[in-house]
Amino acid sequence: MTKSTSLLAGVALSTLVVTPGFADEITVYTAYEEDEIAAYVAGAEAAIPGLKINVLRLSTGDLAARIIAEAGNPQADMLWGQAITATMDPQILDQLEPYAPAGIEALDARYRDPENRWFAPTGYMGTFCVNTDRLAEKGLPMPKSWKDLENPAFKGEIEMPDPTSSGTGWLHIISLLQGPEGEEAGWAQLERVDPNMTQYTQSGSKPCKDARAGEVTIGISLGITGVQSVEQGYPVVTVFPEEGAGYELEAAALFKSSKNKEDVKKFMDWLLTPEAVKIYEQYKILITAPGAALSDPAKKAGVPEDLGSILAGIDFTQAAADRDRIGDEWLDKFGR
Amino acid sequence: MTARPSTAPVPGRKGLFDANRLFVAACVGIPALGLLLFFVQPVAIVFLRSITEPDGSYGLGNYHRILEGARFWRVTGQSLVMTLITTAISVGAGFVIALALYRGHFRGKWFVRGAILLPLLAPSLMQSLGLIFLLGRNGIVSRILGTEIEIYGLWGLVIANTLYALPQAVMIIGAALVLLDARVYEAADVMGARPFRQFRDLTLPAAKYGILSAIFVVFTITITDFGNAAVIGGNYTVLATEIYRQVVGRQNFNLGAVVGIMLLLPTVLAYFIERQASRKSRGQKAAGILPYVPKYSPLRDIPLAAFSFVVSGFVVLVMAVVVYASFVTLWPYDLSLSLKNYAIDIAGGYDSLWITIWISLWAAAVGTVFVFALGVGLRHAPAWIAQPLQVLAAMPAAVPGLVLGLAYIMAFNSLSNPFNFLYGTATLIIAVNFYHYHTQAFLTLQTGFRQFPETLEEAGASLGANLGRLSRDVVLPFMAPMLVSVLLFLFMRSMVTISAVVFLSTPSVSVASFQILRLEDSGRTSQAAAFSTALMGVVILALLLLTLLNRVIASHHRAG
Repeated sequence: MTKSTSLLAGVALSTLVVTPGFADEITVYTAYEEDEIAAYVAGAEAAIPGLKINVLRLSTGDLAARIIAEAGNPQADMLWGQAITATMDPQILDQLEPYAPAGIEALDARYRDPENRWFAPTGYMGTFCVNTDRLAEKGLPMPKSWKDLENPAFKGEIEMPDPTSSGTGWLHIISLLQGPEGEEAGWAQLERVDPNMTQYTQSGSKPCKDARAGEVTIGISLGITGVQSVEQGYPVVTVFPEEGAGYELEAAALFKSSKNKEDVKKFMDWLLTPEAVKIYEQYKILITAPGAALSDPAKKAGVPEDLGSILAGIDFTQAAADRDRIGDEWLDKFGR
Repeated sequence: MTARPSTAPVPGRKGLFDANRLFVAACVGIPALGLLLFFVQPVAIVFLRSITEPDGSYGLGNYHRILEGARFWRVTGQSLVMTLITTAISVGAGFVIALALYRGHFRGKWFVRGAILLPLLAPSLMQSLGLIFLLGRNGIVSRILGTEIEIYGLWGLVIANTLYALPQAVMIIGAALVLLDARVYEAADVMGARPFRQFRDLTLPAAKYGILSAIFVVFTITITDFGNAAVIGGNYTVLATEIYRQVVGRQNFNLGAVVGIMLLLPTVLAYFIERQASRKSRGQKAAGILPYVPKYSPLRDIPLAAFSFVVSGFVVLVMAVVVYASFVTLWPYDLSLSLKNYAIDIAGGYDSLWITIWISLWAAAVGTVFVFALGVGLRHAPAWIAQPLQVLAAMPAAVPGLVLGLAYIMAFNSLSNPFNFLYGTATLIIAVNFYHYHTQAFLTLQTGFRQFPETLEEAGASLGANLGRLSRDVVLPFMAPMLVSVLLFLFMRSMVTISAVVFLSTPSVSVASFQILRLEDSGRTSQAAAFSTALMGVVILALLLLTLLNRVIASHHRAG
C-alpha cells in the first residue's frame, strides 16, 4: 500500500468510527452568535472544572428543523439560545425535560416556562438598520417609527424578512399585532407600510446586510446585525421603532434524551450566575437575567438606560398559540 | 439510452457466461444498492411525511391543503416560467460554447474552459455576492450608468441560475461532441458537403442526446434551487422558497414534504419526454474513432469565439469582483487594500479546508467508479432491471438539497436503521455529496456511452474477451475524457456545496462550506468572501494537480 492510499484508508476508517463521548462532555445545539458562544463556553468551562462543551451553531430556523428531524433519536444534550417561538413548537417542547436551575426564582416569570421546561437568561431585539449614506443621497427623513415608514418617499427603499420564513420577521409583526391598540390596528399598520416594501426576504439578517451594502435604505432586521454593521464601519444606524421594539427570548433547555444530565444541569445553573451575566453584558442588548447593567452593545445601539421603555409588550404563549393563524393571514395579505 | 440487450449480446461461450453474468450483476447491483440506500430510502421517508396527517394517521389531507390553495399554483407557474427561460438560455448558450470548444478552432480555449467552470467550484455565496456587487442597485454597473438597475426578481434569478447551470450544460453536451469521429467529417468534406450541411446532418444529430440530457439536468437543478431564489429572487417566489417556508419557517415538515414530492413530478415528466425524444436518435456507430481536429474557418470560428469570450468574461467578472472585494477594507465604502478579512475570527478558522478536500476526493472517486460501473452494467442488464434503474439514477437532482439533508437525518439517525452508525460521520457527507449530484454524473457518462461504437465491443467479444476485460481495455480508455470530467465535477461540487450538508454537520465533523455559512450568518460578509476566495483557490489548485496527475498517468500509459 502506498502512503497516500493508506492515508485515504485511514481517513475512511476514522470517519466510520464514532468517537465515544467522555463522561463530562456535553453536546449543545445553539442559535447564539459565534462571538458570544466562544465567550460563554470559555467562561463556563473555566467555572466548571472538567466540563467540555461541544457546540453546533445553526440559525434559528435551520436549528428547529434539525431538532424536529432528529426527534426519533435526539443527538443533543441541551438546547441553548434558541428563539422561544421556535422552542414552543410542540414538536420541540415535548422533547424537553423540566429543570429548575439554581437561582431561577429571581428570573421574572415572563422569562421562564411555568413547568420549567425552559428559561431565557437573554433575548434579542429587532431593529431598523438605516443606511445614512443612502438616506442622505435620496434626501429622505430619518424614520423613527413604523408610522414613519408609511411615507410614500420610502417606496422601494424598505426590506423586511418574511415572517412565515424568518423568526426575525415574526418578532417584528407580532410586536405590532400584540400592540396596545389591538391586532386589527397592527394589521392596518402593516398594510400601510406594505406598498413601500421592496421585498420580503427569507433570512432575518439579509435586510440589514442589504441596507448596509446600499441596496436599500432601510432593512427591518436584527439588532445584533445592526450593531455589528456599525462596528465594522458601515454607514448604518440602528433605530428602535417608537411603537415598541419586537424581541425574542433565547431559551435554554435540557433534552429528555440526554445521557449526561448532571453536566447539562451544571451548565444551566451557571447560565444564571453573576459571572455569566458579566459576560452577557459584553454581547447582549437584551439581558433578562437579574443583576445586569446596561450592556456595551446596548449603549452602542443607542438603547436607553431603561430598556423596558422601548420593548413591545409581548405575550409569547399567546404568540405561539396564534402562530399558524397569523402566518396564514399574513400570507393571504402580503404573501408574494 | 435504453438498454440494448439484443445489440450488445453477452459473449456466447458457456464458461465465460457465468463470469460475465457475475460481472454485470456486480456492476449493476452495487451502485443500485447505493441508490436504494442513499436515495430511495430518504425519499421514501419524505413521501411518508407527505401523507402523514396531524393525528399521525396516513391520508392525503396535506396534498389537499397544498393543492387547493391558489398560491401553490401561482408559485408553480412562476417556477415553471423562470425554469423554462433559464433552461432555454443555458442550454442554448451551453451548446454554442460546447461547439466552440470541440468544433471550433481559435486561441484561448483554456480561458473559456476554465472560466465556465468557475460557478461550479465557487461557493454559491461568491456568485450571489458577485451579481449584487456588479448588478445590484448600488453595484458597479448602476454606479457607472448613474441609474439603479433592478436586478431582484425574475431576471436576476434567471441570470444567477444560468451561471450555475451553464457549466453543467457544457459538460453534458461536450460529452456528446468530444468523441465525434473525424473521418465522418473528412468524408463529408470529400463529398463536398457545405459546413452548414455538416452541422445539420452530422453535428446536430450526434449532439441531440447530449442536448436533451442537458435540458433535463438544467430544468431539474433550476426548479429545485433555493439559494439564488433567496438572495436575488426578490419577491419572485418559487417552489423551493415554499419548501423553505413550510419546513424552516413554519416547522411543518409534512406540508414541505408535499411540495418536495410535487417537485419530483415535472422532473419525472421531463425525463420521460427526454427519453421518448432521444429514443428516435441514435449516435454514430463507427468502429474506432479518430479525434476530430477542427481547421480554422473564420465564418464559424469568429462568432463562436466571440460568444464564448463574452460569456466567460462575464463569469470571470462576477467572481473577480468578490475576490477583489475580499481584499479591500470595507466594500464598497473603503476600498483601501487590506488582508484583514483573511484573518478568520470564528472558531475553527481554516481547519475545515483539509477534511473537506478528503471528503471531496472520496465523493469524486467512489462516485465516478459507481456511475461508470452502473453505465457498463446497464448496457448488458435485462430491460426490466435497466429501465427503472435509469429513471432512478437520473432522479436525485430533483430533490432540493434542503429536503435531501433533512431526509438523510430522518433516515440515518433512526435507531431502527442498520446503517445508523453512519450518522454524524464524514462518510454520510461523502454519500450525500455524491448522490445529490448523481444525475449529472450519470447522464454525462450515458451521453458518452451513446457515442461508444458497439462494434468494438462485439469484435472483442467474438475474440473471446470477457466483459470485465473488455470494460477495462476497451470501454474505459474510450470513456476516459468523460470520466475525468465527472470526477472533477463531483470533486468541485463536493468542495463547495452546502444545502444538504448544513444538516449533516456536527460539532466534530464540519466542512468548509459550513464555515462560510457560519461567517455569513454572523454578519461577517467580507470574511465569508475571503474564506470563499481561499476555498476557490484551493479547489483550483487541486484541479490543476489532478489534471497534471492525469497527464502524467496518460503519458506513462502511452510510454508503457
